[in-house]
Amino acid sequence: MFGQPIVRREDPRLLVGQGAYLDDLGQDALAAAFVRSPYAHARITDIDVSAALEVDDLVAIYTYDDLAGPLADPLPLLIPHPTLTHGRTAHALARDEVNHVGEAIAMVIAHDRYLAEDAAERIVVSYEPLPEVVGIEAARDGSILVHDDVPGNLAARMVQENGDAAAAIAAAAHRLTLDLQVERSASTPLEPRGVLARWDTESRRLRMWSSTQTATGLRAAIAAKLQLDLVDVEVIAPDIGGGFGVKINHPWPEDVLVAFAARTLQRPVKFTEDRREHFIASAHERGQLHHVEVGYDDDGRMVGLSVRFWHDNGAYVPYGLIVPIVTSTQLLGPYRPGSYRVEFDSLYTNTVMVTPYRGAGRPQGCFVMERTLDAIARERGLDRVEVRRRNFIQPEEMPYDQGLIFQDGRPLIYDSGNYPAAMDLLTKLVGWSDFESYREQARAEGRRVGIGVACYVEGTGVGPYEGGHVQIETSGRVKVATGLTTQGQGHETVFAQIVADELGVPIDSVQIVTGDTRRMPYSVGTFASRAAVMSGSAIALAARAAREKILRVAAEALEASPDDLEIDDGLVHVKGNPGAGIPLGTVAVLSNPLRYAFDEASKAATQFAVGDQEGPPVADDDEPGLEGRDFYSPPRATFACGMHAAIVETDPETAEIRILRYCVVHDCGRLINPRIVEGQIHGGVAQGVAGALYERMAYDEHGQLQNASFMDFLMPYVTEVPSQIEIDHLETPSPLNPLGIKGAGEAGVIPSAAVFAAAIEDAEGFPITRMPISPSELFALRQQHRKVSR
Amino acid sequence: MTVPARRLVSALPEELFDVQLTVNGAAQRASVPARRLLSDFLRHDLGLTGTHVGCEHGVCGACTVLLDGRPVRSCLLLAVTADGSDVTTVEGLAEPDGTLSPVQQAFQDCHGLQCGYCTPGFLTTITAGLRETPNPTRDDAREMIAGNLCRCTGYLNIIAAVLRAAELSDGRP
Amino acid sequence: MKVSDEVMLHGSIDDVWQAINDPAVLVRTIPGCELLEVTGPDRYRIVVSAGVAAIRGTYSGEVAMHDQQAPTSFVLTASGAGAPGTVRTDVAVTLSEDGSGRTRLRYDADAAIGGVIAGVGQRMLTAVAKKTAGEFFAAVDDVLTGAMPISAEAASPGAEPAGRTFVAPGPSGRTPNGFVSGALVGGAIAIAGVLVGRLLGRRP
Repeated sequence: MFGQPIVRREDPRLLVGQGAYLDDLGQDALAAAFVRSPYAHARITDIDVSAALEVDDLVAIYTYDDLAGPLADPLPLLIPHPTLTHGRTAHALARDEVNHVGEAIAMVIAHDRYLAEDAAERIVVSYEPLPEVVGIEAARDGSILVHDDVPGNLAARMVQENGDAAAAIAAAAHRLTLDLQVERSASTPLEPRGVLARWDTESRRLRMWSSTQTATGLRAAIAAKLQLDLVDVEVIAPDIGGGFGVKINHPWPEDVLVAFAARTLQRPVKFTEDRREHFIASAHERGQLHHVEVGYDDDGRMVGLSVRFWHDNGAYVPYGLIVPIVTSTQLLGPYRPGSYRVEFDSLYTNTVMVTPYRGAGRPQGCFVMERTLDAIARERGLDRVEVRRRNFIQPEEMPYDQGLIFQDGRPLIYDSGNYPAAMDLLTKLVGWSDFESYREQARAEGRRVGIGVACYVEGTGVGPYEGGHVQIETSGRVKVATGLTTQGQGHETVFAQIVADELGVPIDSVQIVTGDTRRMPYSVGTFASRAAVMSGSAIALAARAAREKILRVAAEALEASPDDLEIDDGLVHVKGNPGAGIPLGTVAVLSNPLRYAFDEASKAATQFAVGDQEGPPVADDDEPGLEGRDFYSPPRATFACGMHAAIVETDPETAEIRILRYCVVHDCGRLINPRIVEGQIHGGVAQGVAGALYERMAYDEHGQLQNASFMDFLMPYVTEVPSQIEIDHLETPSPLNPLGIKGAGEAGVIPSAAVFAAAIEDAEGFPITRMPISPSELFALRQQHRKVSR
Repeated sequence: MTVPARRLVSALPEELFDVQLTVNGAAQRASVPARRLLSDFLRHDLGLTGTHVGCEHGVCGACTVLLDGRPVRSCLLLAVTADGSDVTTVEGLAEPDGTLSPVQQAFQDCHGLQCGYCTPGFLTTITAGLRETPNPTRDDAREMIAGNLCRCTGYLNIIAAVLRAAELSDGRP
Repeated sequence: MKVSDEVMLHGSIDDVWQAINDPAVLVRTIPGCELLEVTGPDRYRIVVSAGVAAIRGTYSGEVAMHDQQAPTSFVLTASGAGAPGTVRTDVAVTLSEDGSGRTRLRYDADAAIGGVIAGVGQRMLTAVAKKTAGEFFAAVDDVLTGAMPISAEAASPGAEPAGRTFVAPGPSGRTPNGFVSGALVGGAIAIAGVLVGRLLGRRP
């Protein structure tokens, strides 16, 4: 089953409308709606709820004054770092100041959402508007502050270096400087956020469902806020309509407040976000400004690279510095930079906070490195692919230590990869050496075309760990659980493929559950392209533990040695003798010595039925039941890589940009299900195209988000994505996990800004330093460069 | 089989209007306020949660259902305006014995869905689209789905699913 | 929870004192009042169906009047318990004439609210209290100005035999007899007259 492109097992129920997404649940729950700040920066002077009382079926209205104990404290700073000296997070409901449009001020609970919104509309909040800080330039200027106690709006300043970059650049034969910018965008999954909480009055326990990428993370945070023991909080991630990173942040104010309301009112309470709220109250990413200095030799080899950048983290930083740390480290790509120094400032602005969005800082880093290499090639008059080859880390240099600390707190060491081979595949796929003649042909037709390439590496499968639990029931069904969550990646299928192989059972007998703390309470979450690596490995290890026990118990029953046994199609038999075997279900019965039979099959395990009268029914070092449980915890991330090429055409008059060809070479180690990996690449490329050409967050100078809807935030329809994506695979198996796999989830989106900037620049002949780019911006750049060249 | 309609939780000052319609072949009836969206009516009053809401402003198409055979954005319609209509949702596409419709089967065959949230809207849209254009070219297929957003798949497999669905239907309208 | 407010009533201080001590007035002006029963000297049992929005239900409680200094001040203590919560409140009421034929009435209620009902949020509770009190005083004012006719005889303060019960007039306009000297002032009582069914899922 491993490596087979089988159809997905989760599809049947999703195709007939039997998915269970958050808003499908809790039809009996009370509904929550929020009063949110219309100002980007303001002090709250009064909240008058009297008019809301006109709304019938209004149940409750909460403001900050109703929160006590840990609920009144700011939301947790999830990922601290020594350089994050001024980390600020929001309160669940604004205490006295709001710092972005959309910040929650009051929560209304009513019998349905329509009425809750009616009541929310009638609540009158009085504000004293304060000056706003919008954009990186304004933030770093520092004359207006987002938080009064954060000078210069500086949450953190961090430096990482390997060698002496400044000296190397100064001594280099050639030097270049670049100023580059990437604008803010967002995940925008089709399903916005949602949370449902039920308080069980009798057992005094809380059960929550959330459209979250981390059930265990949310559980721990809620337990802390509500002062409950972990064992009294259950969190279940139901079907989730996409995450793409935004749903990894936790706990949202709404999570905490809905749980609080459910316990206080002793009624189930549900909140589902609407689209506008998702734009103004969840999270964004990507906005950065970079200044690059690079030194290189006559052949275009880097000897020193110094990057200074400014990262807009929005109003709060619950997710710490992960995004800019990923940018800092993954910027290096598959290359040897010589000496490297990276310094960044993470800055507050009066805008929605910034947490990871698919790529999580890598797209910005890739953009910077790839523009730099293209600039070197241009200056030296060298082929752009050739310059990259000269800077590649060679396969024989693996494992390669870049001398930095990665986002998992571990050394940035590339474990495996063959970048020259990947580039061979890409240049062949796109026809790199044939392009110039194609360009000439196009030029003769009055058409303007260009080609770009971009390469990246991705440290996937970061720890700390994931777990797998495999249990064989007396029915023969195999129940598997892992704690991380699923948002469409096909986990129910790929993890079942692993178990089917490891145990030798038909795949239809395997059931996978993800994201349910009742089934697997130890987990981290789904992010950083880690699920296949982490849970895949843990499940494989757990299945192997179960298999070992299966063979041991069956061996006793079959009076054979475990080494002589194998399992085929759910039947344990002596090798070469498939006829005489025992089904897995029977082994499960035998594994649990019983006093009481509960059905026909279980009689075989009762005390007068089973053999050995000498020893104890359950040996000292053994346990009853047929289960395997194990955890996978890697020493560090495992490095996938990819290289993309794009051929674009730009209209000489309208500056419209058309994608003629899009090629992907991708290495994520061994593939569990090639069809699913391909689907991930398609989706990632589509998001990458969108991020390069269409999507951005348009804030005005007062912090008002002007395009907070799909009407104005340009998500791509089928008409905006390439009509074909040509893919070739390379497999350099990972030495770090038992299955040899690497993560694939974010691959498609990482090099997009870089590859489109490169292709458009190649078509136009002037530098593209800022992404995304729209036709009108390209038009304006043309005007600008025309003036200059006169 | 009639699905008992859930009673709207608020029966108070909002004036209620009687809505009678057929949904997936079954007669349905409920009293709802004028402002009740068709999407909310289907999902919460009738318990048919297969139709999903992605934006509530008619752009994403996840809420698409067939109203008298034509694809409509149920988030842009009031339930009261569907009075007397014949509505088909994703729950009404498969055969009574559970066999997937050609469009549904094609989506499975072609890996046309990942998270599944936008899928019901595509299924209804394409079902209607193939009735009109039973033998679509690749360009026809793109046109057919050009009003529905998907964030997961990048659309290529969905186009393949449209073409495959046409194959499975044997070009039958 | 503290709720305080001041209202102007259109009557002399004596008229106002009489009105708010007249059971015929009270049973018509207290929002949702259904029943008053004398249970002892200055002690009463009351049944009120009250509240706003989803905070609505039947409250059954005990009220005691004390520290009366007619016609300028008194203190009322009320307490009650029900499935969604408990209430205990002390309300200090003072009256003063403003010289133009109107009387200023000030109330200061100090309520301890517990249980589920306490969980609807402080601002909402306070707003409900003020709103209900506002309705009560507007109705009392209507009585004083004659906008609401009351046909029962005025009562004079004094002990009443236990067991006398006063019922809210139904649509037929029956007027109760007897006298209750309990003043049910302030939204504290209305809050306490709160919600069993709605909050606890009488809904399907």
